[in-house]
Amino acid sequence: MRKSLKNIYDFISDHLYFYRPDLEINGEKYNSTLLFSLLTTVVQGKQLIVGEPGLGKTTSAEYICSVFYQIPLGTIWLSEVAGHPEQTEEKIVGRPNLGLLNKGIESVVWSNFVQLPVKIVDEINRLPETKQSIILDGVDRGNWQYLNEMFTNDEYCLFATANYQDLGTFTIIPPMLDRFDVMVESKHPGANISYLIASFYKKDELLRHEKYERELNKLLNDSKLSYEVKMERIEKVYANFSKHLEKMGLQPISKQKRKAIRNKIEDMELDLDANAFLRTLISELSFCYKYGQKRANEKCEEGCHFTGYLCHSIKNCISNRFPISVKLYAKALAWFLGDKQVNVEHIKTVAPYALSHRLQWREEFIAIYEKETRVDPLPIYLAKVAVDKVLERYGEQRESIKEALAVAYDISQGRQIAPLEGDHPIYWEIKRDLGGL
Amino acid sequence: MKNPFFEFKDFRPKKREIPLDKIIASKEKVMDALIKAYDRLVEQEAKELVWLVSYHSVIRAYANAEKSIKDMQYGVEDIEEFLFEIENPSRLPYPIMGLCGLYISALCNHIKEKEIVLDLQNKNINLHLLGYRLPKGKRLIVYGDLGDFTGIGLNGGELLVEGNAGNWTGAGMRMGKIVVKKNVGRRTGEDMVGGEIYVEGKILGVGNVRYGRIYEKGGIVSP
Repeated sequence: MRKSLKNIYDFISDHLYFYRPDLEINGEKYNSTLLFSLLTTVVQGKQLIVGEPGLGKTTSAEYICSVFYQIPLGTIWLSEVAGHPEQTEEKIVGRPNLGLLNKGIESVVWSNFVQLPVKIVDEINRLPETKQSIILDGVDRGNWQYLNEMFTNDEYCLFATANYQDLGTFTIIPPMLDRFDVMVESKHPGANISYLIASFYKKDELLRHEKYERELNKLLNDSKLSYEVKMERIEKVYANFSKHLEKMGLQPISKQKRKAIRNKIEDMELDLDANAFLRTLISELSFCYKYGQKRANEKCEEGCHFTGYLCHSIKNCISNRFPISVKLYAKALAWFLGDKQVNVEHIKTVAPYALSHRLQWREEFIAIYEKETRVDPLPIYLAKVAVDKVLERYGEQRESIKEALAVAYDISQGRQIAPLEGDHPIYWEIKRDLGGL
Repeated sequence: MKNPFFEFKDFRPKKREIPLDKIIASKEKVMDALIKAYDRLVEQEAKELVWLVSYHSVIRAYANAEKSIKDMQYGVEDIEEFLFEIENPSRLPYPIMGLCGLYISALCNHIKEKEIVLDLQNKNINLHLLGYRLPKGKRLIVYGDLGDFTGIGLNGGELLVEGNAGNWTGAGMRMGKIVVKKNVGRRTGEDMVGGEIYVEGKILGVGNVRYGRIYEKGGIVSP
């Protein structure tokens, strides 16, 4: 199964999405957009892809979803939601069945976006905030509601693309951003690869299949069919399209196999270092000695003892969605790389992409790093710098932090010993958990 | 609620060993050995609670000191550490200055290093007999003051005292050089049979010199 996933990655990078690698893990080079997009489909996550117009933000997601779910590209295009201010809930989620409504029956015609497991929102920041929230609420819960009806996706993932701010964009407000598991940038591939892309502009044809696209469109729009029958027939078309993909050397992954992969990923465990490092990272992003925790509306005091930690460089508090995202993607990455457990390297790789859109940095911190030479956009670069700094601190006291956590366990079990003292916020957090502060 | 520390239930920290710990441990080992050897010397020499300096007692004590440090591995910094221990009554309860001086002389004479620097400044000790039989090729530099019988029986080495020395300095020395930057006491160079003593301050009194030369403030005073 792992081979099939690698096969998808290789097929897309060889034939469809040309890029420069920008990520090195265990000596192997990857492209962050492609790798995280693949992991997003596997873990059913939510990914924000940012970048300049025309650099493959949407297409990378389309290719990955088409191959992973065996859905022809044309069908995916029909299910995409385009971001613009006039977008409505009726176009995004579903609309009343007007024919039946005339007969006095209330029934919903669900949009392709809702029905398909692949959910791509193009230029999400051209949607006003309220409409962004319709999509994210639905994806968060896997349930879509319209009138009094509900549609449930048993399998889904979300890709949203966003251009950098221009005159036609709205902001994506922090609570909305927080719902995305990861953020990546689809980068310019460089002059030479860009030149090559121009010679392969018809590469989309590889994932097109007119017959199956017509069949799927007909099925998706057939409101007379019951949900179960419709899905059964849709799955059959997917299976036929998968045979078409096999002819190109791909090893499509069936629904059962996808489920098995997810179970295996779910069962992956974090080793103690990965566990302790993630706790250390969270502690720096949420701890405040003076006010109990970080809050976006409270200013960090100058001259605070904890000035050297990240809590002093950020304005807001990291949410509980962050560790969920990191664990999920780190587990998927570890499984993808064939590792038995999630280690610090996996956490270190994933964390910046799960952090970059969730943190609001203080101006002083930005001023230090914004002019540095880099290949990543500033938010991802700053997140990488931050994770490296925490990792450095963790490396210096890893045994002590793990011991502090072990001692905390003993204390919580009733042993009369003192918690381990230390300067790092993690020690203070442990003491707070034990009721010491 | 599940215990948030549950995953660390079985974690037992590795015994941390940083290089400094290793160095300190090995130094402690050497210091223990040095103190034990000194204690043995005290047991052999000071049975009657009083140790008097005489021609024979010095020869015997030095021979015992040599025996007690035989095959011992130590460095100049260990000798310096031992000087600190002389001031510490919990580890060295019987710091007899004469025996200490002889013991340190034996340590200096058998060390691999050619040059030994000892700092006695700001220490509340007055070592006697330091530099006893300092052999040819060795240079012992002492910052601070020394007591009586400094450099007696000097055997070709060079003893430089950046301070004062007591009575009987250089007594019985055979060859080599003693330089005292400040003053020395009486009977300086008593029975010396060779070598040179340079005193840059005052000499309270010169002893019966057989052979060798004694200088005071650059001028020869003996012969």
